[in-house]
Amino acid sequence: MKKRLLALLLSTVMVASLVACGGGKEAADEKTDDTTEESKIEPCTINFTYWADNTDYSALMQDIIKKFNEENEYGIEVVGEEIPWDGGGYSNTLFNTAMGGGSTDVATFKLSATPMFVNNDLLADLTPLVDAWEDKDDISDNIYSVMRKAGGDDKAMYVMPWNTQILYVYYRPSIFEKAGVEVPKTYDELMTAIEKCTMDTDGDGKTDVYGWGMRGSSGGQEPWGSFIYANGGSFDDFTTDESVAGMQDFIDIYTNGWCPPSAPSDGFQETVANFKSGLTAMFIHHIGSSKGMVEELGDDVGAFAFPASDKGRWTSMGDTETVMFESCENKEAAFEWMKYLAAYDGQEMWCEGTGQVPVSQRVQKLDYFQNDPFMKVSFEGMDFAGIVPILDTTTEWITSWKDVVQQGLTGDKTAAECMETMQKTLYQ
Amino acid sequence: MRKQSIGKRFLMTYLPLIALLIFILFPFYWTFLTSIKPEAELYGAVTYWPSAVIWDNYKKLFTTTVDFLKAMKNSFIVASITTVVSLTASTLAAYAFSRYRFKGRKFMMALFLSNNMFPTVLLLIPLYSIMRNLKLLYTPWALVLAYTTFTLPFSVWLLNGFFNDLPMSLEEAALVDGCNRRMAFFKIILPILGPSLVATGVYIFMTSWNEYTFAVMFTNNASRTIPVALKSLIGQLGVDWGLLTAGGIITIIPVCIMFFFAQKRLVEGLTAGAVKG
Amino acid sequence: MKKKKFNVYPYLLVAPAMLIIMCVVFIPVVNAIGMSFQSYDLRRPKDIAFIGLANYIEIFQDPLFWQSLWKTILWVVFGVGLQFVFGFILALLLNKSFKGRGLVRAVSLIPWVTPGVLIGLMWRWMYDGNYGVLNDIFRKLHLITDNIPFLSQTSTAFPAVVTTIIWQGIPFFALMILAGLQGIPGELYEAADIDGATGIQKLFRITIPSIKNTIMITALLRVIWVANSVDVIFNMTEGGPAYSTQTLSVYIFNKANTLDMGYASAMAIILALVLCTVAIPYLIFTFKEEDN
Repeated sequence: MKKRLLALLLSTVMVASLVACGGGKEAADEKTDDTTEESKIEPCTINFTYWADNTDYSALMQDIIKKFNEENEYGIEVVGEEIPWDGGGYSNTLFNTAMGGGSTDVATFKLSATPMFVNNDLLADLTPLVDAWEDKDDISDNIYSVMRKAGGDDKAMYVMPWNTQILYVYYRPSIFEKAGVEVPKTYDELMTAIEKCTMDTDGDGKTDVYGWGMRGSSGGQEPWGSFIYANGGSFDDFTTDESVAGMQDFIDIYTNGWCPPSAPSDGFQETVANFKSGLTAMFIHHIGSSKGMVEELGDDVGAFAFPASDKGRWTSMGDTETVMFESCENKEAAFEWMKYLAAYDGQEMWCEGTGQVPVSQRVQKLDYFQNDPFMKVSFEGMDFAGIVPILDTTTEWITSWKDVVQQGLTGDKTAAECMETMQKTLYQ
Repeated sequence: MRKQSIGKRFLMTYLPLIALLIFILFPFYWTFLTSIKPEAELYGAVTYWPSAVIWDNYKKLFTTTVDFLKAMKNSFIVASITTVVSLTASTLAAYAFSRYRFKGRKFMMALFLSNNMFPTVLLLIPLYSIMRNLKLLYTPWALVLAYTTFTLPFSVWLLNGFFNDLPMSLEEAALVDGCNRRMAFFKIILPILGPSLVATGVYIFMTSWNEYTFAVMFTNNASRTIPVALKSLIGQLGVDWGLLTAGGIITIIPVCIMFFFAQKRLVEGLTAGAVKG
Repeated sequence: MKKKKFNVYPYLLVAPAMLIIMCVVFIPVVNAIGMSFQSYDLRRPKDIAFIGLANYIEIFQDPLFWQSLWKTILWVVFGVGLQFVFGFILALLLNKSFKGRGLVRAVSLIPWVTPGVLIGLMWRWMYDGNYGVLNDIFRKLHLITDNIPFLSQTSTAFPAVVTTIIWQGIPFFALMILAGLQGIPGELYEAADIDGATGIQKLFRITIPSIKNTIMITALLRVIWVANSVDVIFNMTEGGPAYSTQTLSVYIFNKANTLDMGYASAMAIILALVLCTVAIPYLIFTFKEEDN
C-alpha cells in the first residue's frame, strides 16, 4: 500500500514538474540559434511587464511606450502590462508566471531578485547584445560590473541598467535652526544633530520633535547600512566588532528616544509622513520623494549626503533595471526597447518625469539634472554608494531583516546576537 | 415576545446593535473620510470632518491609468459567473451528500473539507501552468475556474449543514403525496433553502470579488479586476490614500446595494416555502 | 432510504463539483506534498533532491516554527471565537423586527465587502502611533495620556491584528447564522411561549439546537479560513515587530516567497494536520449523528 502510494505520488510529481517546466524549455531550445546570427529585426510584438509607483508614473510609462511604438524604425510594437508593486510581491508574481511558462519578453526588475531568476535559467544573457551596441559606453563600466556581479557569473550580464536612486539624508532647515545645529559634515556631528534636534517644543515635558526618522520596518536595511559602515563595519561580515558597534548606534537612537516610538513598525509611508508633518528632523530616502517634498514643504527641506566618519562611509544605491526573458523570441527587437529605456528618449523622459538618477552619462549632463539640488546630492553619493551583496539568500535576508532588527530595538536580543542571526541568514 | 417595555427593548436590541454597528462601520466611515480629505490634513491633528470636502479622487479614479470602471466590470462578470457555477455545483453535491447514502460519500466529503487547508501560495506555479495549458489565461474563465475550485468545498459543506438542519418532514410529506424526488427538490427544498442559497451565494461572490493573488497572475490589462486595480495604487513611494480609499468606497457601495435587495430573500424562508408547499 | 440497489444518481450530482476540483487542484496539491520531502529550494534548483523527512525534522527544531504555531493557535482561538460571539449576537439582533432593518443588514456586511488590500492598510492607518484616530479617540476619552504605537510594540501588535480579523469576520458568521435562523419553524417558539419559557431558555433549548449543524460547520470553515489567512497580518505588520504577529501561514508565505518551497510545503502539511485535529472530531461526530 505504502509503495503504491509513493509510486503514485512520484509519478504525479513528475507529471506536474513536466507540466511546469515544459513551456520554458521548449522556448529555450528554439532560441539558441537566433542570437548568434546577425539577423535583421522583423516587425514584431514585445510584451513588456512593469510596475508603476503611482498613477503619474504609470501614465508616463504608457507615453514612453507609445512614443517608441510610433518612432522606432523596425515596426516593433511594445505591449505594456502593468502589475502592482505589491510591496515587492512584484518579483514573485513575475517569477511564478515565468516558471509557469508565461509569455513576457521584457520586464522591469530589482537587482536583488537576480539569483532566483538566473538560477532557474529564466533570463537571457545580454552580453552579445550589449557588445554589439554602438552607444554602450554611454553607461559607465562601474554600473555594468554591478549588473554582472548580481548574476553571479562575470562573463554573463542578465540585467540592463535603467535608473538608480542614491539614498541621502533629508532634513528640515527650520528644525535645525531651532535646535541650533549646522548641516553635519561628519558622522559624529550627525549623531549630535540627531540628539539636539530631539526637542520638547511646547514645554509639556514630552518630546514632540525627534531628531531621526528611523525606518524599522520593511526596506529599512538600506538606511541602516550607512550606520554599519560609518562604524567601520561592512556587509561582508556582520559579526565584526565594528559592524556590531554600528548596530548598537542604531539601537541607541531608538532607546535614547531620538526617533518616534513607532519606529519599529515604520515603513516608508510612515517615515515620510513623520518628516513632512515636522515630527522628525531628518530621515533617509532617495530623490524619488523630492518632488512631493518640495511641493508640500517649499524651502523648508534640504538634503545632504550621509556624512563620513574616519572609519568608513557608505550609502545604499537603490536600483531599477530591465531584464529580458530567455523565452523571448525576438531578442534583438526586445533589446531595442531596453536600449531606448537605458540611454535614449525613454531614459530622458522617465528620469525627468520621476526624478530618478539616470544611468546614461549623456542624460546626466542635461541641464535638468545638473541644476536640481537633490540630483547634485545624489551624484555626490555615487562615489561611495553600494548595494547589499546579491546572493541567493539576499531576498530571505531582506525579508527577515526587520524582525531581527525589531528584536534588537525591543531589547529581546543584543546587537551582537542580531548581527549573528543576520550573518547566518545571508551566508548560511 | 411583543410585550417588551421600551426600556427593555432598548437595552436588549438597540444598545447592542448600536455598539456593534459602531465597531463595524467606523472603519468604513474613516475610509470615506480619508477619501474626501485634503491630503495635507491626514498628518497632523486628527479631524473628524474635513476642513474642505474634496471629490477629486472619485473623478480621478475613472480618468487615470487605473481604469476603475473596467476593473469593476471585470470583477462583476467574474464574480457573477463564479457565483452561478459554484452555487449550482455545490447545491447538487450538497443535496447528494445530505439526502443519499452511497459508497465513497464520507471520503468525498472529507476530501472537500481538506481542499482548502493548503495555502494557495504553494500552488501558484502549477496552477498557472494548468491555466496556460487550458488556454484560459487572461480570460475571465481562468478566474472563474480558480474561484469555483476554492469556493466549492466551503459551499458544499455550508449547504450540507443547511440541508441537515432542514426538517425532513416537509420533504417526506411531499414524497408521500406522490411527488418524486426531483419535484420535491424543486418545489419544496429550493424555496425553503432560499436564505441559505443567498447566504452561500454571497460568500462565493465576496470571495471572488476580493481575491488578489490569482487575479494578478491570470489576468492582463484588459481583464484586471478590482483588487489588482486597488493594489496598483500602492507603490514604493507610498500609498495614494485618496485614490485608494475612494476606490474602496466605490467597490463597497454597489455590493451593499445588491445585498440590500438580496437580503429580503433571507427572511422569506420558511413562510414562503410553506405557502408554496 | 437504505436500498441495496446501486444508485447512480448521487454520483451524478456530485460529479460536477468533484471534476472541477480534481482538474484544478489535484496536481498542484500532490506536487506540493512531493516538494515537502525534497530539498525543494528554487533558489538552488540544481540541488533539488529527495531528502525524506529532513524538512520535517528541521522544522521541529526551528524555534520560530513553534512560536508561529503558538501564535496561530491564539490567532484562531481568539479570532474565530470572538467572531462567532459577535456574529451570533448580530444575527439574533438582525432577526428581530425594527425600522430600517433591511438597511442595517446591508451595511453590516461592509467589513466583508471591503477589499482585503484595503482592510490591513486602513486598520494600520487607524492604529498609527502618531496620527492614528484610535489614539486620538482614546486620548479624548482620557483612557491614555500618551499615544500608543500599537503596531510597534510586541505587546500590543498581536491584539491589534486579532481585533482586525474579528472585525472582518463578524458578517460571515452573522449572515450564515441569520440564514440558519430562518429554517426554524415558528411553532417551536409558540409552543415554548405557552410553556412560559424565558428568552435565555428559548435560546439554549430551541435556537441553538436547531441551527447546531450550521453553527458547527460555519465555525469549522472559519477556523480553516482564518488559520490560512495572510493578507490582514501581512498588510498590517508583515509578521512583526520581532515576529510577534507571525502566524504559521505568514511564515509559510514568507518561506514560499523566498522560494524555499520544500520547507514551506512541509510546514503547510503540518498546519493542515493541525487543522485536521479540529476537523476529524467534527467529521466523526457528524457521521455518527447521521447514522443514528
